[in-house]
Amino acid sequence: MDYKHLADQLDMDETEFSELVTLFVDTTRTDLEKVRQGVSCGDPRQASAAAHSIKGAAGNLGFTQMADLAQKMESAANSGSLEGFDAYITDLETRVDALTPT
Amino acid sequence: MEKMQPYTVLAVDDNLLNLKMIEKSLSREGYQIFIAGNGSEGRTIAREKHPDLILLDIEMPGENGFEVIKKLKEDAVTNLIPVIFLTGISDVNAKLKGFDLGAVDYITKPFHPLEVLARVRIHLKLSIATNSLIQDQAAKLLQVAEAQTAMLPVPKSFPAARFGVYYKALEEAGGDFYDVLNISDFITGYFVADFSGHDIKTSYLTASIKALLVQNCTPLYSPRESMKMVNAVLKKILPQEKYLTACYLHLNRSTMTMTLVNAGHPPAACLPVQGDAFLVKSQGDILGMFSDAHFGVTRIKVSRGDRFFVYSDGLVESVGKKTNWIAGARKLLPVFKDLQQFSCAEAPGRLIRHLFAENSRPEDDIVVLCIEV
Repeated sequence: MDYKHLADQLDMDETEFSELVTLFVDTTRTDLEKVRQGVSCGDPRQASAAAHSIKGAAGNLGFTQMADLAQKMESAANSGSLEGFDAYITDLETRVDALTPT
Repeated sequence: MEKMQPYTVLAVDDNLLNLKMIEKSLSREGYQIFIAGNGSEGRTIAREKHPDLILLDIEMPGENGFEVIKKLKEDAVTNLIPVIFLTGISDVNAKLKGFDLGAVDYITKPFHPLEVLARVRIHLKLSIATNSLIQDQAAKLLQVAEAQTAMLPVPKSFPAARFGVYYKALEEAGGDFYDVLNISDFITGYFVADFSGHDIKTSYLTASIKALLVQNCTPLYSPRESMKMVNAVLKKILPQEKYLTACYLHLNRSTMTMTLVNAGHPPAACLPVQGDAFLVKSQGDILGMFSDAHFGVTRIKVSRGDRFFVYSDGLVESVGKKTNWIAGARKLLPVFKDLQQFSCAEAPGRLIRHLFAENSRPEDDIVVLCIEV
């Protein structure tokens, strides 16, 4: 991932951006855990709220694919469906793990 | 050089990343940032720190943004702080609800730090301009009140007029007005008026009335002619919805004659040294409304020591008690009589203390003149 480009987009330097990415990794892992809890308890509202949080944070940093995935989860949960969430969670976790600031 | 106090912004969002982004982008531009991870914490910080602006997320666990802004606007400590919503919601009804609750703007997530900065700047400027406008207007109103008070004559400046006065405006710019005019060495004019409305326009108009009285209350004109002249000019200069009720008492201490011109005003009270007190109830049209206004005129022969009370409707009218002018004034006659034991300078103040308890507040402006022959 081109951190320099993303940092430029936000009018930040790479160091500042890296700090935010580290924070994003932490908060998104926490949010993903909440999504997982929502799925296991059959609580779409909890899953939706956590997915909403991931969507906003990912979008703010320019991680559009992660924001799109979170958007799909939020929309599905809002309509009461938690189908396919295991795959979404795995996909997002993989992307979060890959975010190692350079 | 003294350091300027930084502008302060409170950001409330349950996502720590969003808070940090806002903190980074605004603090490097010189703003001091407070952050809160939920609505309740946000309200506590808003009360304690009184930030210049609040950025508030809508979707949060616990109190959501709508509940938070509602409470902020209900709280006198925080209700003037501008609030900008941060939201991923694009539903127009949700946005309108936010504006309805008092938000000044929205920033849609995902947000760009420079957009946050730009919106924070513009709303701080607006807030500063609004506050400055409010302070400016308050200062002007104070000047008007001071000018209005300075226009009202005090008894010690007119010893020959032998009068006492009580004047109290409910608001900074009162609707009541009085003046005392030295028409000649032995003729004095006493004018009490009540404007419709209690606004700044009213206060400026009192200056015009004062000038009109000086020009028209002269030995050249009879009291009725003086009021006719004043009415003719007022008809031309007053805004459409403005008028005034007035009472003009013309006292000639040489011929010992009192002439009272009534223009839609409550009756004056006469307290002769000998005989019973009575109301001078001549009726007349209000001032400033009709070109062909008719004014009730009463002429009375007076004796040394006779007293007159001229006052505005705030003294005799009570909406709460449904009292009209005549009934209210009749009830006052015995009270006026009891005041004979006090000097005419003291009488108006004693009257007010008698009528209104220490903590009760009159429903209208009040002016009372006590005039002694």
